[in-house]
Amino acid sequence: MPTTPALRTLAADEIRTGGDHLFWTADPSETLSESLRRTGQTAPVLVRDTGDGPELVAGRARLLALRALGRPVLVLMVDAPADLDAGLLYLADNAARPLDDAMRLAALRFFAPLLDRAALAADILPRLGVRPGSKDARLLDAWLDLPEPWPGHLAEGRVPLAAGEVLARLAPADREAAAPLFASLGWSRSNGVNLLTWLFEAGKMTGKPLADLLAESGMADVPALGLSPKDAMARLVALARQTRYPALSALQAEFEETARELSAGTAWRVVQPNNFETGGAELTIQVKTPAQLARAVDDLDAMAAKPGWEKLWNMGGRRD
Amino acid sequence: MTDPAQLPRHLRRIGRVFVDESMLDSPLARRVRDRLAGTTHADIPWIAVPEGQDRVECAGRDEQALYLKEYKGRFLRFCPGTRAYHCCGYRIIHIGENCPMACSYCILQAYFQDRVLKVWANQDALFRELAEGFGADRTSRFRVGTGEFTDSLALERLTGYSRDLVGFLADYDNVVLELKSKVVDLSWMDAATRTDRVLPAWSLNAPAINQGQEFDVSTLEERLTAARTCAEAGFRVCLHFDPIIHFPGWREGYAEIIDRIFDYVRPEQIAYMSLGSFRCMPQLTPIIADNFPDAAYIYNEFVPGLDGKARLLRPLRLEQFSFMVERLRRHGMDEQLYFCMESTEVWNEVFGFAPQDFGGLNRRLMDRAFGN
Repeated sequence: MPTTPALRTLAADEIRTGGDHLFWTADPSETLSESLRRTGQTAPVLVRDTGDGPELVAGRARLLALRALGRPVLVLMVDAPADLDAGLLYLADNAARPLDDAMRLAALRFFAPLLDRAALAADILPRLGVRPGSKDARLLDAWLDLPEPWPGHLAEGRVPLAAGEVLARLAPADREAAAPLFASLGWSRSNGVNLLTWLFEAGKMTGKPLADLLAESGMADVPALGLSPKDAMARLVALARQTRYPALSALQAEFEETARELSAGTAWRVVQPNNFETGGAELTIQVKTPAQLARAVDDLDAMAAKPGWEKLWNMGGRRD
Repeated sequence: MTDPAQLPRHLRRIGRVFVDESMLDSPLARRVRDRLAGTTHADIPWIAVPEGQDRVECAGRDEQALYLKEYKGRFLRFCPGTRAYHCCGYRIIHIGENCPMACSYCILQAYFQDRVLKVWANQDALFRELAEGFGADRTSRFRVGTGEFTDSLALERLTGYSRDLVGFLADYDNVVLELKSKVVDLSWMDAATRTDRVLPAWSLNAPAINQGQEFDVSTLEERLTAARTCAEAGFRVCLHFDPIIHFPGWREGYAEIIDRIFDYVRPEQIAYMSLGSFRCMPQLTPIIADNFPDAAYIYNEFVPGLDGKARLLRPLRLEQFSFMVERLRRHGMDEQLYFCMESTEVWNEVFGFAPQDFGGLNRRLMDRAFGN
């Protein structure tokens, strides 16, 4: 990137600050403003001459802070006639900033119209700390084509980067239907990906639009129930799983109910070990003392006398 | 009337032939060269592969390559069944790898992620090994097939491999050979001296699956017509419903094909018939999703089976199996029916008995193959 190392001082209001290449804009922190007030400007901002006056290339927070302090701005005039040059200089000037997924995506979204996908991967990803061909590279690539509000949700930490591939596979109308589930809830990586994957797969399996699945399953009503975010997400994940695996979920619910009746009042755990691929049940208990062991044996004796075992063992078989 | 210059549809994407240097003058290589001459593929490049080179590559995106290779491994193998489910005990004669057809559900997509159709050209070594295996004790019976890592008849037009095998096995009346395919090529028939030692076999599926998930294959009608031709010539045939797929309309689809079978062959002309629900290694699912985006059946309720493969939830399998077995029984099918890789529970639920009740599946099928 050729630059013209010309230092100048300009009035802050002379410099335009609106270019798209400023893709990580943030207001100046108090620390920065205080430092500039006390010590003054120690590093110039980067400015280019567009023929229409000076335009900021990098250093927006410093510029805004100096403008607020009413001080002139030390600028380094750079040779960056094209937006691509300006973007690369902005990246270089911000190389020390800690990056998150949303910042990486914002940078890629700026460069995407200016480079082909191969050049984007080879030239830009490494500058963002991402290895071309890596899983993160694939995910970011998937995110590039996702419209708002999804990049906004990513920036706000409401949807994980890992959801990019499944979001990209959803039809636009299905993505739109799913968006309200992310409007106010901050989804973890596993829950967010599971939720979307199950909904996508259920849509494929049933041939139904996602909006219909959300309505039929009751998921569409969950945000309005007034639950805590944690409870709301747990409910949504459970309903999405039921929607994706209706027969398995029904079997599991029936098994758990019967198992609860059989083991009520004991420390025994009764579980189905293999997704009903075979009949039977697995019983486990943890004991630490002879007394606990004796109690476990008595409990097991009492459990064995209860009705319900045949039903439990045969779940997953043919139902006429 | 088919054009003799035109290869069958499923072979038309072959754009080059690789041959191990040591196999350049093999009878098989000469035959392939002869059979390509005079066809639209007469001028495709032949490339000698030097010893030590372990990779060949196709050129175009859709191009397939035929690779006539000197195979150094075992030709006679056991079917890779697992202990968790009842395996039919079939032995594999390994004649090559990969398939020119494209079925969305095919496991070969995960096994062989290239478009190279390998054929073991060192047939002398294969026949030597088979002679040792089958000739050591002529009272030991073998039920063998070639359709595990490839389709038994897909390359027959070019290689004549099955015909060679049928001719070779004529000397071994302790061996029954099953030729399992999704295409029709009956050029091996006149090499058979005993019609009771060759079992031509075709996979069948619901018409919607045949039309939507199987590409470059023969139609169901063509397969059933071929089965009838074989049956009329005195062969007993095998038919396989594998994979059975759970899709909207599966009842009507499988009912239709089951009923259609008996317009072509009678139950006594069927040596055996397998039923196997779609199952796959977990890594196959994303491959299917990529290669066949419309294959919605992969999003059904699959759970990890006892062998680690993804399997349809047992009650759903039972529902399909029960429906099909009941319908097949109404047509007179009985002891011919068996499950491919299913559990004792499933056998008992559907048939009312399990392989251990009749001495084991391998024995049952061996008896049926030999007509006992």
